[in-house]
Amino acid sequence: MFKTTSTIIALLTASILVCCGLPAVAAEADVDKAFDALKTYDWGQDRNLLKPIDDAIVGSHGDAAAQKDLASRLAEVLKTDAPQAAKDFVCRKLSLIGSAASVPALAGLLPDEKLSHMARYALERMPAAEAVKAMRDAMPKVKGRVKVGVINSLGVRRDAESTASLVALLADADKEVVSAAAAALGEIGSPEAAKALGDFQKKAPEALRPAAADAYLACAERLLADGKKAEATAIYKALSAGEQPKHVRMAAMRGMLSATGKK
Amino acid sequence: MSCKPTRLTRRRFLKTTGVAAAVPYVITSAALGGEDRPPASERIVMAGIGMGGRGRGDLGAFLGHKEVQVVAVCDVRKGAQNAAKNMVDKRYGNQDCAVCTDFREVVARDDIDAIVTAAPDHWHALLSIAAMKSGKDVFCEKPLSLTIKEGRAMVDTARSYGRIFSCGSQRVLGDYGRLAREVQSGKLGQIHKCFADPGGPPRPCNLPGQPIPDDIDWDLWLGPAPWAPYHPFRCSAAYGLGGRGFRTWRDYSGGMMTDWGGHKFGGAMFALGLDHTGPVEIIPPDGKDHKWLMYKFECGIEMYVGGGGPRYEAAKGNVPGLTWEPPKKLLERNYRGHGGLPGDFLYCVKTRELPFRDVEYAHRVATVCHLGNIAYELKRPLKWDPVKEEFPGDDQANRMTWRPMRQPWRL
Repeated sequence: MFKTTSTIIALLTASILVCCGLPAVAAEADVDKAFDALKTYDWGQDRNLLKPIDDAIVGSHGDAAAQKDLASRLAEVLKTDAPQAAKDFVCRKLSLIGSAASVPALAGLLPDEKLSHMARYALERMPAAEAVKAMRDAMPKVKGRVKVGVINSLGVRRDAESTASLVALLADADKEVVSAAAAALGEIGSPEAAKALGDFQKKAPEALRPAAADAYLACAERLLADGKKAEATAIYKALSAGEQPKHVRMAAMRGMLSATGKK
Repeated sequence: MSCKPTRLTRRRFLKTTGVAAAVPYVITSAALGGEDRPPASERIVMAGIGMGGRGRGDLGAFLGHKEVQVVAVCDVRKGAQNAAKNMVDKRYGNQDCAVCTDFREVVARDDIDAIVTAAPDHWHALLSIAAMKSGKDVFCEKPLSLTIKEGRAMVDTARSYGRIFSCGSQRVLGDYGRLAREVQSGKLGQIHKCFADPGGPPRPCNLPGQPIPDDIDWDLWLGPAPWAPYHPFRCSAAYGLGGRGFRTWRDYSGGMMTDWGGHKFGGAMFALGLDHTGPVEIIPPDGKDHKWLMYKFECGIEMYVGGGGPRYEAAKGNVPGLTWEPPKKLLERNYRGHGGLPGDFLYCVKTRELPFRDVEYAHRVATVCHLGNIAYELKRPLKWDPVKEEFPGDDQANRMTWRPMRQPWRL
């Protein structure tokens, strides 16, 4: 059926081409058929059923309107009761062409244990600020490993706006959440993150000391890369102390050498 | 026997009590060493992670070195665990080799100096980085990584923690070394084109689900990859792209592009002195002007994914933009120690020199493989900045330089 202006134009174009004896643009009909197949697509079915969508996405490079249309159609599938395999496919495609407009549909999957990862697969790769905001907003509403996943993605995106929330999570009862929060703060690598990690690594329980040291080191490296030598050096000095394992002390000393321009 | 240490090793005893112990300590003959084994304090204690066929092959190579003591093996499959343990126990004539399913038990042991890993590709980065962050050196089978950013993270971790990291690919010098030396010496002239065909890219997997056998920890096998139902052809080590093993599937491998790319691109880039950098343009086949995928380097070298290889074609006359010169200094770059790549790795573990297949070279080669796969998937020419390691101004391609990991995993 005619869903968008671009579809109408494509079909009119196809008609003209057919009349001129040129090969018809059958792709649009194939894409429609693929979207129909997608509604019930599941593991074990022929992956080639969806190939027209793959091809359409590839062909839409440089055509913002076509990409927007495809992304919109894909996002709609996420709101249906299509099988997990279908939504998995959609998230992979949105990870390539998704934009701010795709975020609401993806955000809706973040609390879903089975689909949270694939929602992040798209959101984490999407440059749009709305994508990060969706994950930031979801963080307090999810728990367990789903929460860990969201935290990890915020760390990859170095979301400084999450700093306060992540600092609070350093006291969480779930050790995996604590470890993830520390790692994310390390990736954010801001002076605020550094302060929180500095406090944390002094009082971290034994099981979390390796994670605390690693996060603190990562923070130092981020600070150094951002030109904040003094802050980075302070961390390296702290981690060079005797109570740290040898490999941490060595990494800290190497960091100090880097900070002073010596290798 | 779990991989967690169950007895006080001599190394740990000395570490925690200092040399001057207050109580008598019985030094065992095993600790003292013997005619065919160095004393314990001079041994390199190793563990194997990912002990399928290739993993056991690598393990066997290390077991042949007198200075190595393998103390633990790890695999998500019980069959592979047992086969690896049997190898180790047979070598030492005891039952002491620990086994485990979860690599974190190996990583947590501070008596292990180094690991050898031949886990599936999608695990290489996580395993290796965890090991390095716990103070261990790493010998990791090729291909180095599943994505470009994983590879860079592995390099950065190795440098930050001062770890020795050697990747696999014995063919770079073993099979392709003679021709590489001719290129490096200038004997073949000014090279303009090279040809290296490793085979094709991976594809999406949509195998149906089957009951999970007792033998495998499926969730751990998947690890950071997207969840999918178990099927033996998802995770088998069957070779090639025929759909019967993990190398076929994009979620776990870069296909033959990375599997043989590690050898062929690795061989070519070593020969040409390009394995410290990368191409600036990648052009996929288009059925018209471009028969094969082609990488163009800043020095003007064109590397084609076709025509067998590695093989090299010299320029005929002056080629505009071709500035490549034979990298004669590479004639000295070679294995150290004894026993090929494993021997080179062990030598470097002791001396702390960078190994022949240092992680940076392996990353540059793997990156070339990944760039090719991205070009195959996007079906359009791509520009690449090998210094910043990004596609300038190409948001879509840049999204493909990493893959968000399934919780709880992260680099």
